[in-house]
Amino acid sequence: MPSFACRLPILAGLFLMAALPAQAGTSVTQAPKAPSALAVTKPLGTPPAGVTELKFRDLFKLPVGPKGLEPTDKLLGLDGKRVRLVGYMVQQEPPVPGHFMLSPLPVVAGDADDAWADDIPASAIFVKLPKSPDLVVPPMAGLIQLTGTLHVGLRDIPAAGRVAPAVLELDVAPERVLLRHAKSVAKAASKAR
Amino acid sequence: MSRSPLLRKALPALVASVLGGTAFGASAATISRLTPPSELFASGNAAPVIARFLPGQQFDLQATVQPDVGETIKEFVFYVDGQAVRDREGNRTSIVTEAGPAETCVGADGKTTGKSGCTLVAGLPANTAVVSLRAFSKGAPGVHELKVVAWQNNGERITATGNFEIVGIGEGNGQVAKNIIILLGDGMGAAHRTAGRIMAKGYAQGKAKGQLAMDTFPYTGMVMTASLNSIVTDSAPGMQNYVTGNKANNNEEGVFPDDTLDAFDNPRVEYLSEYLHNLQGKSLGVVTTADVFDATPASMAIHTSARGNGTGIVDQFLDDRHLTGLSVLMGGGRKWFLPNPSNSTSPQPANGSQRRKTNDYVLPADIVAGWGASPGKLDPERDLIADFQAAGFAYAPDKSGLDEAFKFGAPKQLLGLFAYSNMNVAYDKIAGRRGDRTVVDAFGFPDQPMLDEMTDAALKVLSKNPKGFVAMIEGASIDKQAHLMDSDRWPLEVIEFDRAVAVAKAFAQKNPDTLVLVTADHECSGAAIIGASMKTAAELEANPKLGKDAVAVYEAAKFPKYRIAEDGYPISTNVDHKMLIGYGANADRYETWLPSLFPTKDTQQPFPPAQSPANPNARNEGVGALITGQVAGDQAVHTGTDIPLSAYGRGASQFTGVFDNTDVMFKIGRAAVAGERQNSQQ
Ligand SMILES: [Zn+2]
Repeated sequence: MPSFACRLPILAGLFLMAALPAQAGTSVTQAPKAPSALAVTKPLGTPPAGVTELKFRDLFKLPVGPKGLEPTDKLLGLDGKRVRLVGYMVQQEPPVPGHFMLSPLPVVAGDADDAWADDIPASAIFVKLPKSPDLVVPPMAGLIQLTGTLHVGLRDIPAAGRVAPAVLELDVAPERVLLRHAKSVAKAASKAR
Repeated sequence: MSRSPLLRKALPALVASVLGGTAFGASAATISRLTPPSELFASGNAAPVIARFLPGQQFDLQATVQPDVGETIKEFVFYVDGQAVRDREGNRTSIVTEAGPAETCVGADGKTTGKSGCTLVAGLPANTAVVSLRAFSKGAPGVHELKVVAWQNNGERITATGNFEIVGIGEGNGQVAKNIIILLGDGMGAAHRTAGRIMAKGYAQGKAKGQLAMDTFPYTGMVMTASLNSIVTDSAPGMQNYVTGNKANNNEEGVFPDDTLDAFDNPRVEYLSEYLHNLQGKSLGVVTTADVFDATPASMAIHTSARGNGTGIVDQFLDDRHLTGLSVLMGGGRKWFLPNPSNSTSPQPANGSQRRKTNDYVLPADIVAGWGASPGKLDPERDLIADFQAAGFAYAPDKSGLDEAFKFGAPKQLLGLFAYSNMNVAYDKIAGRRGDRTVVDAFGFPDQPMLDEMTDAALKVLSKNPKGFVAMIEGASIDKQAHLMDSDRWPLEVIEFDRAVAVAKAFAQKNPDTLVLVTADHECSGAAIIGASMKTAAELEANPKLGKDAVAVYEAAKFPKYRIAEDGYPISTNVDHKMLIGYGANADRYETWLPSLFPTKDTQQPFPPAQSPANPNARNEGVGALITGQVAGDQAVHTGTDIPLSAYGRGASQFTGVFDNTDVMFKIGRAAVAGERQNSQQ
């Protein structure tokens, strides 16, 4: 059978909410919209000078070889370079301070006990907020663009209980946007109470 | 009775202090669970007998004992028909009590909390003991009384009584089924079979123009599919009930439920594969289009109460092959086989492994001793493909590799891992073979075999064993695509599955000492052929919101016509006046009656293309007509409807009438051990 989702209505429900892209319009979205400085609503132009566009599908060699996934030459060549990446913020429960995951698909990551067959695409990478190691970035719906310095290689983020093929260490500007976003979400929440 | 090394010193001072002098129940020591399960224990009724076994089939005896306040359990004995069951080697028994930190594992009410790191499930008195005797078996047919006696420290006795049955194989004609092939169309109810036939064969003036291979089987019965804890089963008990002869709880395979948190310490029941490997030296083959850790394949060989424990499940396939005779394992799920040395300090390329300690296995000593099982190890760093190869398995990563493995004849053992998780479905694999590789390329596995090719390869390997084999061949995505209510994809899964049935039937024609069963584990989605489109494909595309206005019922439906290509699959499912499917167990969906370019995202698939709709609830949202579902969530669910089982070959005549899924084990056992009954209709 099966899809675990059919027996995990709560997880599935969460997933649904996260899964609805911004253009879904009238649908329920639990996560607030991404800040406009990051939200991607139309095709982006070329990245600024010194920044390379990296697409998730360029991370691994396709087709997959006889064993595991293998990084592309493009990915390996971008180690230590500045890149721009467009993806969805993974809603991780519990969240990992100073980090979040960026995925080519909208997904929710449950805690280890719920994570049976993993929902998170293998190409998901970690995003690190170098100046805000304690910040818990609140969930954001929809596609976002991020720029930063790419560190390639299997990275272990113990707090997340996960490894990722690469870590994107955010540039100052997007990190600031995320800080402001976190503050405004916290403010809205305290008002609501 | 000897004490097991597992005996854990629980109940530190805290419990005594929590309980001391308070009024937690009036010292009513009790036994809250006796395994194997029985109505005699649960309700006092001797019938129906719940647990049944073949003569000599092994199973664990277990009881959950709740002693008086302040007491602990110091000893126990199981009695069968009044005779004490001895643990002669002194290593097959255990007394398990709460061993976690009391401040976490015992609540203010004196009950266990069941929290992570604790031993027992929530809600039990803190001094509860789970007592086990592993790998018991009995030969004499008939209903037997099972009694457990447990002694508290103060010498008080606590007892409970249940029953179980040994089903005699009886006299047969000696013409045994050497080979057992179970073809399992996951989720395949009568409607799925019919839809496959309408699409693949067509009808004229009310007559089917041809039969599916499964339609040609001479004996068909109806199977009741309930699990131990529900009228609606999932695929774990759905499969394991056939091959253990016993009911399991949903999510559990090869085990009875228990009161501990450990998913690998449950009371076990011996599988058909283990029974016949032990008795006759048969091999086991497991072939699926799903991830090989999935419930159906795992329910042929793996003992766990958590079907999601991928790392432990795939490890056990290899580690316990000396118990099961595993010689062929094919399907998807490569992510569980790749090493994940996640504690490595030196960065290295990610291979996409999903191996983790949290879903790996280590067995308690009494199971290891009783069953001769491998103890297991939390080893995410394990390279399981390499270990399979070291054990003598040929490894095929794709269709070309599969062909390659047979270049010099059939290998002795075969591992095929053709996808990262579930394999692509026939609809997309066939499109790839016909030149449209959009989907298979996006998944990263453009060269996957079809199920009939995998079946042919498996039977070639398995038939090398002169003692015979047990094979399970699963069309897994009939279920998965029915969950997703993708009415273009699951009928092709039925057709793909039926082509595997044809391969098995041809094998049985050449090898008459073979029994072939075609069935499902349960129905999925409440699928129904509601009629046909009154519109052409072009009209549907122009008006995707038509919804029920497109549905022609009764005589207006006529006979939808599909053209079949050389490869055996429809040239297109998007024909004019196509067959339309309704779902009786559906969640909300948007219906256009048109094929979806990309398969809907599968929650077990970690490497899906971005174009896949998230779920049927988002697929065609704003485009198709909303069809309101009757169940929550975003997928159709399994139903409790009986499902057909068709049988061919040696011993097939037993499979008629209406019977329980657990009956299948005893019918197979009879066919494999004694042969068909003489002068019997049974
Ligand atoms: Zn299912």
